[in-house]
Amino acid sequence: MKNKEVIINLKNVAKYYYMGDNIVKAVDGVDISIKQGEFVAVMGPSGSGKSTCMNLIGSLDIPTKGVIYLDNEDISSLSESDLAVLRGKKVGFIFQQFNLIPNLTVKENVMLPMMFQGESKQERENVAEELLVKVGLGDRMKFYPNQLSGGQQQRVAIARSLANDPEVILADEPTGNLDTKTGKKVIDFLKSLNKEGKTVIMVTHDPNLAKEHADIVYSLRDGKVERITRKNKLRI
Amino acid sequence: MAGMESIAYSLRNLKQKKSRSFLTILSIFIGITTIFIFISFGWGLYDYMEDLSSSSSADKIIIQSKGVGAPGFDTTFALTDDDLKVVEKTAGVYEAVGIYFKTAEIQQGTIKKYTLLYGYNPGKPLLMDTFNIEVEKGRELKKGEKGKMVLGYNYQIKDKIFPKALSINDNLEVNGEKIKIIGFYESVGSPQDDAQIYVTHEFVKDLYAGENLSYNWIVARVDVDNLENIITSVEKNLRKHRNLEEGKEDFFVQSFESLMDSYSSALNIVIGFVILIALISVFVSAVNTANTMITSVLERVKEIGILKSIGARNSEIFKIFLFESGFLGFVAGVVGVILGFVLSYIGGCVLANLGWGFLAPHYSFWLFTGCILFATVTGAVSGVLPAMKASKINPVDALRYE
Repeated sequence: MKNKEVIINLKNVAKYYYMGDNIVKAVDGVDISIKQGEFVAVMGPSGSGKSTCMNLIGSLDIPTKGVIYLDNEDISSLSESDLAVLRGKKVGFIFQQFNLIPNLTVKENVMLPMMFQGESKQERENVAEELLVKVGLGDRMKFYPNQLSGGQQQRVAIARSLANDPEVILADEPTGNLDTKTGKKVIDFLKSLNKEGKTVIMVTHDPNLAKEHADIVYSLRDGKVERITRKNKLRI
Repeated sequence: MAGMESIAYSLRNLKQKKSRSFLTILSIFIGITTIFIFISFGWGLYDYMEDLSSSSSADKIIIQSKGVGAPGFDTTFALTDDDLKVVEKTAGVYEAVGIYFKTAEIQQGTIKKYTLLYGYNPGKPLLMDTFNIEVEKGRELKKGEKGKMVLGYNYQIKDKIFPKALSINDNLEVNGEKIKIIGFYESVGSPQDDAQIYVTHEFVKDLYAGENLSYNWIVARVDVDNLENIITSVEKNLRKHRNLEEGKEDFFVQSFESLMDSYSSALNIVIGFVILIALISVFVSAVNTANTMITSVLERVKEIGILKSIGARNSEIFKIFLFESGFLGFVAGVVGVILGFVLSYIGGCVLANLGWGFLAPHYSFWLFTGCILFATVTGAVSGVLPAMKASKINPVDALRYE
């Protein structure tokens, strides 16, 4: 029963990079277990391996060693194509740099992930419009990303991450490029998504942000989990 | 990704890079235009040759000098009436006739020109039959008729050969003698042929009195089913008559068909060579397209990373880039074909006006579709490597790319 609740499970995962004769151990023997509906923060200083960890959790990368289960499926053995389908369906990414496609309008950006899942155009339009209204950008659908403020762009990215109704939202330094006030709005939005039942994993270097909002904080250092901190309260 | 959407996505990218797309298209369509023009004219020439080697020419053989220079103009070579008799007597030969080709000085007012005078036997117009040309205005010469001539088509046109157009019953000075015009041949399509003068054998002898005349060609109508054997027999008999050893003949006997074939072969080489040059230009433009696509891939590494992070498969990235390069090729093909058509059409009209009517372009559905398809495939093929490169980009590295 407990196993069913675990949506992401990293078991002794390592990611090494080979640079000539040197081996860079970006992640070295990490165990992370994330349950459905949790708000998890992966924290650590620069070079601690948190971004690599996020890439592995989000199935953007495959580990050198160890296994990763995403919704009970071992992703370390999947083909590139299957991996793409899986991440498109189950993981929504939010990046520090927003990473919107500049040639596409706000609405088209949000429609894009659904296109790769083969949704009909009508369906994609409906969902994109609904999500943009939800993030408060209903009146900016035909704008291009460069016509929006940073906060607005990040909200588009949030809407895009929700396009395929994924179980996991992966946010890599989502407030890194925003001022405090806008950043807070983004965090609030992530929290509300978490309340709706989404599993949110946030990578951050800001200990306050992690401690304040996350249920569990994985602190990384030198590619290893240094500490796991659980918030001492029950969520409803 | 649904097909139409990946197309729309690719098109949007191409639109964003208008100048680069345009330059890439330009480099391909120049090659395609060249190919289109040369194939259409080449095809037109083949058509013309085909017309020449119609059924009326299949049973004709030609005997002429083996010497260098234009056929029939070797002055050291002579075909006599005796040679003609030898040919006529060869088994399988139905009839044979000698033909004179002479240079004539023609004059209108103070303007003098030189042209080819063609002396033939109107009773046996074998060469006319072979080339399938007929008198368009006036009448044919009669056997043995003197003091009269039939002219090539261009004499009827003002400023074409002489400032003044000539008509039936006008006189034209040939070798200082005024000769009455009784007819005009239809247009053959080349300025030389359409400027020829046609007179009877008998009249040639008058016009060139004092010259030791000999035939330049002998044309014979033979049993078509036995063509090769008859050619061999004619060769053998003429060799014997002219006291020549085998292999040292100063003449050669050829069927009209094989004469045409040899022209066709020469034509193949020329057209083939020109198309080869055009293909090289297309190859260069393919390299250019590949370069454009590689630059495009490099510029869009981050975008590829984003697409992959939101669920795009390698195959979908590959399709996007392949479509872009194929589409560049397709547009270049369409533009190239349109431009090729316009240029070849204008070129055909200009050439026809200049009297080179036989150089007319031939258009077909396959020429249009073939050129467009070729350009599309060239574009797509040159995009394969960049598209593969794009599809294999690691999403993690791509997202980090600035």
